[in-house]
Amino acid sequence: MDLALFVVLIILLGIAAGLVGSLTGLGGGVVVIPLLIVFFGASVPIAIGTGFVTILATSSATGAAYVRDRLSDIRIGMFLEIATVPGALVGATATVLITHANLESALLVAFGIVLFAIIPGSLARRHIELPTPQPQDARSRYLGLTGSYHDNALDQDVTYQAARTTPAMGVMFGAGVVSGMFGIGGGVFKVLALERFLNLPMKVSTATSNFMIGVTAAAGAGVMLAAGYVNPIVAAPVAIGTSLGAYLGSRVLPGLRNRTVRLLFLPVVAALAIEMVLRGFGLP
Amino acid sequence: MSVAPALASGPAPVRPLPPEAYARMTLVLRLGLIVALAILGGGVVVYVLVNPGMTSSAVLSNNPILNYLSVAGLGSGLATGSVSAVLTLGLIVLVATPILRVVSGLYFFAKVGERAMAAITFTVLLLLLLGILVIGPFVR
Repeated sequence: MDLALFVVLIILLGIAAGLVGSLTGLGGGVVVIPLLIVFFGASVPIAIGTGFVTILATSSATGAAYVRDRLSDIRIGMFLEIATVPGALVGATATVLITHANLESALLVAFGIVLFAIIPGSLARRHIELPTPQPQDARSRYLGLTGSYHDNALDQDVTYQAARTTPAMGVMFGAGVVSGMFGIGGGVFKVLALERFLNLPMKVSTATSNFMIGVTAAAGAGVMLAAGYVNPIVAAPVAIGTSLGAYLGSRVLPGLRNRTVRLLFLPVVAALAIEMVLRGFGLP
Repeated sequence: MSVAPALASGPAPVRPLPPEAYARMTLVLRLGLIVALAILGGGVVVYVLVNPGMTSSAVLSNNPILNYLSVAGLGSGLATGSVSAVLTLGLIVLVATPILRVVSGLYFFAKVGERAMAAITFTVLLLLLLGILVIGPFVR
């Protein structure tokens, strides 16, 4: 394919990924990585390296708004990064070593399985009502893992406190490994830890997850970039496209219902997951 | 660090970061993304223009940044005006943006005297640098 055409098509792919990502909360990586492999002939590690670029662009583009509105809990986010960042380092290192061992097909099968695992979490109906307060554990109390925000929909100030930090850290480490290995945000797993274990309100969980995804992706991206698995001719158009798509998604189309978009989009993720597994096994 | 006493049953006190912390982090994210996109966007356009007739498979099979992944290589590449070196710089800015946010978090936790949170944030920063400076080059 001619290079100029290739760059234009990748920008369009990025715009689509950014739009879908900002509307569904699923990172753009879940679309970008398989499509780069299937339609653009990128190798698995280069596609994964590009996935990180997608996440970095989306997270910086949308994260700025969340931080500005003080929905992201910086304290809780920073605390949990002590678990996600080592996870991402382990995951990205594993991907590089698996590539060196010529086991890219195993990576594809595993990626397909992870895509499947994301689907039920994305379908779960998010509860709008506030969580029932649970007691803080000692670590949460010591670090002051509490916060407050003004909920516009409920028109009240909401105060929350983090519970059960130990299992949350375990899930976050796992989310970090998955993110680092496959170049996806792993937001579904992060939100799970923030809502189920830390018992945070839905809005704070989503915004804090977004805040953390950027730092986790930086850990994985750092390893992949330094190891030579980020190709700028793929990454640059993707970064531009995703930022544009994420911006459009958050500004121009706020009326679109998340759940509707998600229901339309999940069959695509399922199809891509099947394609990845089939490819991994060398089937047509 | 002073931990305010709180009853086990009552709500724990909220210890908010200074408002400028949020403003600073928003600014870091915005600026970092804009600078990275400007470098990457300009770089890729120039790359396409100076490589007429090149195909995507040639770029995919031979990553143009491989010569610029060391400080010396990147420095001499930038000095000689290599487009690939400029693109590498754009990628570095993109990756550095969330890392700068961690640095700014560290600054504010240290400023308000929260030693435990500052230590956690500093550890995260060290781990991020470990990935880029040690693990990545080691497994290349």
